[in-house]
Amino acid sequence: MQSTVLFVLDGQLVRLGFSPGGYPHVTTTLLQYLRSLPGHRGVKEGCAEGDCGACTVVLAEPDGDGGLRYRAVDSCLFFLPMIHGKQVITVENLRDPSGNLHGVQQAMVDEFGSQCGFCTPGVVMSLFALHKTLSAPKREQVVDAIAGNLCRCTGYRSIIDAGLGAVGSGAGDQFHADAGRIHDLLLSIPRDGLMIETGGRRYSRPSTIEEALDARRREPDAVVLCGATDTALRVTKNHEEIPSIIDLSGIAALRAQRRTDAAFFFGAAVTIQEVMDTAEKGIPSLAGMLAVFGSRQIRNIATIGGNVGTASPIGDTLPVLVALGAEIELTGSHGVRRLPVEEMLTGYRRTACRSDELITGVSIPRIPSDITVRAYKVSRRADLDISTVSAAFRVRVDGDGTVDGAILAFGGMAEKVRRARSTEEFLQGRPWTRETVDKAMAGLSDEFRPLCDVRGSASFRAAVARNLLLKFWAETAGANGQRAVASAEGVHG
Amino acid sequence: MVDHTPHDSAWAHVTGEAVYVDDIAVAGVPLVGYVFSSPHAHARIRSFDVRDARSIPGVYAVLGSQDIPGENQLGPVVKDEVCLASGEVECVGQAIFLIAAETEDLCREAAKRIIIDFEPLPAVVDLPAAMAGGMLLGAPRKIERGNAAAELLRAPHTLQGELHTGAQEHWYLETQVALSVPGEGEELLVYSSTQHPSETQALVADVLGIHRNDVVVEVRRLGGGFGGKETQANHPACWSALLARATRRPVKIRLFRDDDMSMTGKRHPYLIRYEAGFDAEGRLLAVTLELHADGGMATDLSFAILERAMLHVDNAYFIPDISVVGCVWKTHLPSNTAFRGFGGPQGMAVMETIIDRVARALRLDAAEVRRRNFYASPDRVTTHYGQVVEGDRLQTMFARLVASSGYGERRSAVREFNTTQEFRRRGLALTPVKFGISFTTTFLNQAGALVLIYADGTVLVNHGGVEMGQGLHTKIRSIAAAELGLPLARVRVNATNTSKIPNTSATAASSGADLNGMAVKRAIDTLKERIGPAMAQLFNERYEGELTRAEDLRWVRGAIIDSEHPERMMPFVQAMQAMHLRQIPLSAAGFFSTPGIGWDKVSGKGRPFLYYAFGMAVTEVEVDLLTGGHTILRTDILHDVGDSLHEGIDRGQIEGGFIQGAGWCTTEEILRDENGRLLTHAPDTYKIPTAGDIPPDFRVTFLDGVPNPLAVRNSKAVGEPPFMLALSVWLAIKDAICADAGGEPHFPIPATREVILNAIEELRQLTAEHARA
Repeated sequence: MQSTVLFVLDGQLVRLGFSPGGYPHVTTTLLQYLRSLPGHRGVKEGCAEGDCGACTVVLAEPDGDGGLRYRAVDSCLFFLPMIHGKQVITVENLRDPSGNLHGVQQAMVDEFGSQCGFCTPGVVMSLFALHKTLSAPKREQVVDAIAGNLCRCTGYRSIIDAGLGAVGSGAGDQFHADAGRIHDLLLSIPRDGLMIETGGRRYSRPSTIEEALDARRREPDAVVLCGATDTALRVTKNHEEIPSIIDLSGIAALRAQRRTDAAFFFGAAVTIQEVMDTAEKGIPSLAGMLAVFGSRQIRNIATIGGNVGTASPIGDTLPVLVALGAEIELTGSHGVRRLPVEEMLTGYRRTACRSDELITGVSIPRIPSDITVRAYKVSRRADLDISTVSAAFRVRVDGDGTVDGAILAFGGMAEKVRRARSTEEFLQGRPWTRETVDKAMAGLSDEFRPLCDVRGSASFRAAVARNLLLKFWAETAGANGQRAVASAEGVHG
Repeated sequence: MVDHTPHDSAWAHVTGEAVYVDDIAVAGVPLVGYVFSSPHAHARIRSFDVRDARSIPGVYAVLGSQDIPGENQLGPVVKDEVCLASGEVECVGQAIFLIAAETEDLCREAAKRIIIDFEPLPAVVDLPAAMAGGMLLGAPRKIERGNAAAELLRAPHTLQGELHTGAQEHWYLETQVALSVPGEGEELLVYSSTQHPSETQALVADVLGIHRNDVVVEVRRLGGGFGGKETQANHPACWSALLARATRRPVKIRLFRDDDMSMTGKRHPYLIRYEAGFDAEGRLLAVTLELHADGGMATDLSFAILERAMLHVDNAYFIPDISVVGCVWKTHLPSNTAFRGFGGPQGMAVMETIIDRVARALRLDAAEVRRRNFYASPDRVTTHYGQVVEGDRLQTMFARLVASSGYGERRSAVREFNTTQEFRRRGLALTPVKFGISFTTTFLNQAGALVLIYADGTVLVNHGGVEMGQGLHTKIRSIAAAELGLPLARVRVNATNTSKIPNTSATAASSGADLNGMAVKRAIDTLKERIGPAMAQLFNERYEGELTRAEDLRWVRGAIIDSEHPERMMPFVQAMQAMHLRQIPLSAAGFFSTPGIGWDKVSGKGRPFLYYAFGMAVTEVEVDLLTGGHTILRTDILHDVGDSLHEGIDRGQIEGGFIQGAGWCTTEEILRDENGRLLTHAPDTYKIPTAGDIPPDFRVTFLDGVPNPLAVRNSKAVGEPPFMLALSVWLAIKDAICADAGGEPHFPIPATREVILNAIEELRQLTAEHARA
């Protein structure tokens, strides 16, 4: 275990030592750290909760193929030790050595993409990451790349045009020229575990599952995290001091994905964005839901294991995982067990994961072609918003048009993600018709006592839950025998 | 003059080099300033003890109202808003104590150790309760023409109703921030993110008990303002000044996002009661309106905002008999304040809702009803306050926009779509904007400038306006360069600084370029008047023959040229060197005040505005009847900016204003609990539009060939008017859900998903009742 964090900034390897009484702390955010440096004040704080993107920076890591992979992240949600082994690129780094603007910067200038300029560094970094990944992005891809960047001045049209206009700007830039050196520099950073203590707060980053289980045994009360997009808010918003953190993001084994004829398996540390990329090629209902999960900056950090582990009553992946019949893999000192996701969720932000266990993966069975699954999210705003109500429905309709097996899973309707069991039973064996659905809708109201909060009243939630079932029927009835595809439109609700 | 040069700060923005207050480096590490604020909406402070908080090592000051050396007062118009609460608090988030410490953590620790005993008092935390309690913040206002009450009785058709419009959070990306740096003696330099440096300077001097000549306020740029930093940036500036004075060290206060949202005022919520009489063709005959504004705990700018609302209830329509009454009510909430549009949105929203209802009642197309009601010459040209609306601009724009947007064909297509869908509806709405340009408080229509020419031929322009993203400095630079005949590279616009230009007005009311641009032009005119004769003399010393006359000199292409003898030409640099040697002063102040305007606030008559800016929008939306969700499919905007000073900047103002307005109309909802605490205090619950919310097909065009002789270089103001074009989004949604329903749903602003879904359900029930009957 070492206690020095190594990363690349301004093209150079930085060794960051933490001292028990000094600054920074283990829960100092990357944003706070960058702003404490003289040369990186272009990184802005707009909200300190990942909802505005003004703090967006780009992280580069070896892609396993000899190159680098560039990801935009919200630096306000990133605990400083988590940058170990990565290159941090900020807006100040984008100009080439002779001072010329990067293609995405020039496009922003040309299109009048900045007005007050405060969101601009974040926007530029999101566009930079986009253009390091795609040479000629389409409009939807540009919009997706900047959906996590709030701008209050421009109305976005000019920014979207800048994103479209910067064609090819990522391919021949100075990062491309320097990628080999950076790649080797990053590979030279040891991947051993990290253990840091500052001001009575402890951060450990094990490098294997065994080390992680050891750490968990030693400190059963430690907060286990992977992307920290949820935990970071406790620090940045509530100013809590978290005594001990176990960060699983350094465990290579947890980042594995496997695909068999029967199922998809995602290691717990696979990011939501990576899950989404895979799901687009085989689990459309999940892909559609993830497309409106947070923003790209959040999806690039948040993990599938973390989302299951938070067990939020509105956790975006959960209803669809329930409908898909996913299983959660839990690894403990006594071995590995698998729990259906429903059994995993035991209450408000509570799971069946024992204190000597870790969530190590999620297995999603392939859905037979005679079963239809669709997911819906209803939120105040389409992108970067928390569901008011989310739902995932699964139905198999027999040859004679009757329902044989239905799962109706809802988020935002109870203290945890829950199925409408009575309504499911009601549907069983009944014809999959409007009349049946109308009756089922009436029954749904009795199954839930949703809460009233800023995202919607109880009656609104109840009405939406009913209507989503009708929407599902309307979009899929007659699709018997076909596998329905969740369109983005369907997911937006 | 068509200018395509980038935004003055674009390069600095995209490289991260643009400096905002929080980025300013000063000698010595500034202390962190922190505000201890009220957890109660209304309470008496029985006692407090800050000794323990003060005793923490690293905590340099804990100040209360008793520690204010000057006046404990921040009210910009009416002196009814204290700087720090003493005795009583009147809203959640009201500042009580100020803390300066080495770190934010220490500030929070000190805040925890302040002992304070509150006696909670009854709190009024919404408009209906304030109205029921008779809590007027000032005398009601009235503007009338004719006898609306009598004409309503005679009208063939009438309708009446109530419209609620919601609060709106400014959500400038840069939260409120100020850094105060003490100098020698009483000197204080305040870097503030303020739209009103002179007022900030005045209030800092007042709370410190020093003079304005002791205080310099400097503003390089704001990370967004939108009116939210017109008066309410004064607070953090004064707080940081108090702490800097007490500690003799630089102190910075930057509000955390949640604190900023909780502590500062919003766009005023309005409750508007209306009754309208109209004829069978849909022409309005008489309208009575009662406007009730939620002012919050202090007056702030509420009455100026109310006046603008009352002056804009006509929007683009001639209403023969009209009566408008306006009231501002006090609630125990943070004082509501200026926000882009400044009452205009609320005033126009009610008139647009009336027109929409008239059209539906008569089964006429709403756009056609609008056209029939437009101001039109010769006899339908005078507003309810007596100002004449020039020409037939509205008809011209209507004809062009209806044609360019394909309104007629799309109306048919929408109808067709709606007959073929069970769970989806499309809607279409065309709405106009006529927005009066000038501060309605007439004396504010003034501006100053100071233009410096250096002997190397470069120019530094100072003016009183603030750059908050709107491109003011870009426009000013263009104006100065054009007036001097110089390339832009030779002209720089300085940070706004109260020691350069005194007694300025806020950068507000869309007036920044109009007023400051004219002041800059005046300064340059003065320079030319001085330099002209000296240059003529210089040419006459050099050239034989007919004399060069000063009035024939032209400042073009980087040189000064005698237009009658073009060979008599001198590059600007050499000319300025020559002028310097000849002891000609190369700096000049300029001053401008808008001529010919003024109105009587008591009688409600006069000419409050120099001119009107016009715009018109057509928006098409699709609504999901099952979830209440909507998507904007397309928006076409035609806007009148006169001769655009800068097309890129103006287009950005139009698009940005429209989308900000769309947020107000749809997803942006301010919610508070029964104790007056803000529930939507962060962007996870307060949702401004994001990139996915804008119309994928977004067509903005300028009305060309209509120079405006009343403003600088024939331009028109553009900051606020486009905001209100977003009423087309709101009414397109209503059009969609009312498509085949009989009846009027409850349809307030914002029309959130929940409002939309409720309206759909309400209409469904009305239609069912209708069918039964």
